[in-house]
Amino acid sequence: MAARQLRSERTSEWLIRSLLVGLAALWMIPLIWIVAMSFKPNDVLAMSTSGLLPIPFTLKNFSDIFFVSMTPRWLLNSAVVALGTTALTLVVASLAGYAFARLDFPFKRTLFIIVLAGLMVPEQTLVIPLHAVVTSWDLHNTHFALMAPRVALPVGVFLMTQFFKAVPKELEEAAAIDNASRFTIFRRIMLPLSIPALVTLGIYTFLHSWNDFFWPLVSATNTNMYTITVGLASLQGNFAQTEGLGFIMATAVFASLPIVIVYLIFQRYLVRGIALSTGK
Amino acid sequence: MLKKSILSLLLSGALVAPGVAFAQVKTEISFLRFFGGCADEYANVTDVDKASGECGVIQVLTNKFNAENKDGIKVNTQNVDWNAYYDLLSTKLASNEAPDIAVMHRSTLPNFVARDLIESIGEDLTKAGVDLDDFAKPAREAVTYENKTWGLPFDIHALLWHVNVDIMKAAGLVDASGAPIVPKNAQELFEQARIVKEKTGKRYISMDARNDAMPVRVFNMLMWQQGADVFSSETGKPTINTAQGKQALDFIQKLYKDGLAVATHGNGEASQSFQQGEAAIMVNGTWAVNRLASLSAEGKIGFKTYAVADFPPIFGKATWSDSHMWVMPKKNRTPEQKAAAIAFLKYLNDNGISWAKTGHLPVRTSVLQSEAYAKLPFRNAYAQTAQMARAVPMVQNQRPAQDAMRDSFGAALLTDKSTADALAEAQSKVERLFRRVR
Amino acid sequence: MTAAHSATSPKHIGISPRFAFEPKSSAKRRDGLAALAFLAPYLIFFVLFLAYPFFWGVWISFHDWELVGTLRKFIGLANYWDMFEDPIFRVSIRNTLLFTAITVPVMVAASLGLALALNRENRFHAVLRVIFFTSSVFSVTVATLIWIMVLSPDRGLFAHLFNSLGLQPIAFLGSPDWAMPALTITTVWWSVGFPMILFLAGLQQIPQELYDAARIDNASAWRRLTRITLPSLKRTIVLVVVLQIIGQLQIFGQPLIMTGGGPADRTRSMVQTIYETGFNEWQLGYASAMSLFLFGVMFLASMLQLYISRQED
Repeated sequence: MAARQLRSERTSEWLIRSLLVGLAALWMIPLIWIVAMSFKPNDVLAMSTSGLLPIPFTLKNFSDIFFVSMTPRWLLNSAVVALGTTALTLVVASLAGYAFARLDFPFKRTLFIIVLAGLMVPEQTLVIPLHAVVTSWDLHNTHFALMAPRVALPVGVFLMTQFFKAVPKELEEAAAIDNASRFTIFRRIMLPLSIPALVTLGIYTFLHSWNDFFWPLVSATNTNMYTITVGLASLQGNFAQTEGLGFIMATAVFASLPIVIVYLIFQRYLVRGIALSTGK
Repeated sequence: MLKKSILSLLLSGALVAPGVAFAQVKTEISFLRFFGGCADEYANVTDVDKASGECGVIQVLTNKFNAENKDGIKVNTQNVDWNAYYDLLSTKLASNEAPDIAVMHRSTLPNFVARDLIESIGEDLTKAGVDLDDFAKPAREAVTYENKTWGLPFDIHALLWHVNVDIMKAAGLVDASGAPIVPKNAQELFEQARIVKEKTGKRYISMDARNDAMPVRVFNMLMWQQGADVFSSETGKPTINTAQGKQALDFIQKLYKDGLAVATHGNGEASQSFQQGEAAIMVNGTWAVNRLASLSAEGKIGFKTYAVADFPPIFGKATWSDSHMWVMPKKNRTPEQKAAAIAFLKYLNDNGISWAKTGHLPVRTSVLQSEAYAKLPFRNAYAQTAQMARAVPMVQNQRPAQDAMRDSFGAALLTDKSTADALAEAQSKVERLFRRVR
Repeated sequence: MTAAHSATSPKHIGISPRFAFEPKSSAKRRDGLAALAFLAPYLIFFVLFLAYPFFWGVWISFHDWELVGTLRKFIGLANYWDMFEDPIFRVSIRNTLLFTAITVPVMVAASLGLALALNRENRFHAVLRVIFFTSSVFSVTVATLIWIMVLSPDRGLFAHLFNSLGLQPIAFLGSPDWAMPALTITTVWWSVGFPMILFLAGLQQIPQELYDAARIDNASAWRRLTRITLPSLKRTIVLVVVLQIIGQLQIFGQPLIMTGGGPADRTRSMVQTIYETGFNEWQLGYASAMSLFLFGVMFLASMLQLYISRQED
């Protein structure tokens, strides 16, 4: 009886595994195909786009990126914006999170509720008034304008508040007796403890900021200020023509490399981070 | 502060323009346009004879100006995909990033002038030696709004009848000299389509329908062919949902429903399939003439002989047209920048014949009558077009109106929506858009 | 893992009791100053780039307010009345709701299925988890670029497949019937990773003892799924459904880049209409009113989550 059940579970286990492998292959085929195209000459692609292997092989599409396109500049903008957004978010969110979790001050609850209400405002619905406001401050086409709206989102503050609340009080009390200032406690005790949470918040912020589309589309109007996401969209108009297909694919591959690398390095923090932010 | 420091960091690292002698450049001006990007293909080419197509000609003209002007002017081109062009121009104007020179259509000019976004440059052009009286009447009209000159007209572009002669010959639809026969009315057109299908198995027409303005252009044209108009020129009110409108849209719908053209074609797919030799006729503009002629001469497309003709009279004689012009958006310019921009415009005007190479109709009477123009290939084949060309009355919000019509008509072509419903919907959408006009 | 992490497990999270070991009034004042210093950096961003624009948006929505030029005319609620008679806005509401209704169930089912299948601690499953999440790191431009190509009727992967089977390729993005499902497929491929991870996190919080007990009772895999796993995941399911509804209601990049809202307006979304109204037609006031309507719809969705979670407690 038990043996039979074990055997049937083993069969279904193998069935599921092979199904998963098949599905994963389907999932990856578009990617493999795109990467293959990025290594093929444009005139070959104009005739045929079939085949998952880069034969004939060329590196010209990639060298073109450096010599004739703005792509390196756009990548640099994306890096500055995504890293800047991440750094700013980590600083302001951990400071504010600590205050909400550990300090006692007038109107704390009200203030916390107001900030949390900000969670309700979807990013896309803010773009129109944000554009008008940033226009009146004459801040369009700056890196700062591309970073600030995401730094203002309350998700990070919420996550850090939850995190700091869960840190046992005893750790702080010892320091408080030593008459350390609030900031010293924060820096010496709380920050080191919160590194896993900060890493998670950092990756999410970086991923989202890198992939922002609507806001940079309307705020960065100078080609020198495009992020790679917007820059790549501006190239897509040339789709209709078969010329340059390999080049566009190479740009897409090249543009995605940094984010894929960041993801592969930090991927193990992702599940952990979700558990942190929604663990209720 | 942050902006400056990051910018300088970026500039030091990322912007190394190859082969430009910075020392000589005294004035830089920004130049925003569509027409496609081909800076790499024509890098350092300054011989206009080597360029083909809109993109090639304007790129080489710009290269040439940058290389040869004596005033140390450098024109920095930003090419924008045509579909995104006006969105970007608008956000640029809103964010203090106005270019020094921008391309514009006659049909969009009123919106920009009404909001005081564009410089009136008639006097400056005259001072620089541009003869405004040399412009043909429709070109003059295109840049004039409220009695002032707002731009330098560059061309008049119109719809033409592009022909794959191989297919027409195989179907026996050529005259004694081997030239393709152009239908004289709707009935002849459908008859030709039937013969083509029967004798060659090919489709008759290539014409983008999905997400493309082409059906709207053809609709406008068919309205004029019937002596009607999409907007009343006196009141500026839409007159889409009318008996003539019904007639026009029914005709277009029949092209797709009867399989003469493919309704899912969009984003240039129709033009692709014509180049691959899949259809006898392509409904497209003057801008395609030069490119198709040189591609067929080089044997780079799927058929041997290309020809072009005036658009056939389906209901009467008229063809759709619009006009490209160069405008100078309002912004803070130094006197040097302004002079540089005017100098470049003057240069573009002097080289009008090069732009006419693309297939567009020139705007200067002196060019139209020149020998050089007469020598350009195929010009005799669509000699009537200049007289047949009609344009939409200069009313505001035409582009959103065109988009609204495109989407409603698209439903009649792609789905089972009736033409009556599509016309009623387009009429009400356009009325709403015009209601917002100041 | 560190002590800090294990301390964040669910039972520790909640409203913390106030510090009991300090005399209240003076500590509160001292804390008040400190709190100001701690909060100020964030609050500056919050006020300038979230709160102020939000209320500014409300203000603008009562105006005829243009992107360029100087028109700012107060018109009261006219934009709001106008909105519901606007055929373009109505069709975008219809499309957005339809897209959400199609995509959310597919996404939830796909991500839940993947999470259930991949919830094992070994190399094989870890690698697969990475694969299924990888597509989520691409930007919308890259994801749509890939799928425009894959779906292209003359150069796409599907076209190659159809041709090799001797069939006529379908113009997925050009067909009024196929365009919306094509956007759904693209969206699921692109963003199934996040909900999958949410479910994985939820699964890891189900106590192993429950399964051990079931095993002793000889419960079948199906019974374990329906009696233990799904009921324990209830909160996560509600969370994912609501996050998905909120996310998909904001769909923008996919239709803008892949179909332009066509064919025949079949994929035009609300955010796309907001974008075009604001930046193509220059009607910022009207576009703000539309944004606030969208905000209202999503607010209702969030309230629904609150309501459902309350019901359970």
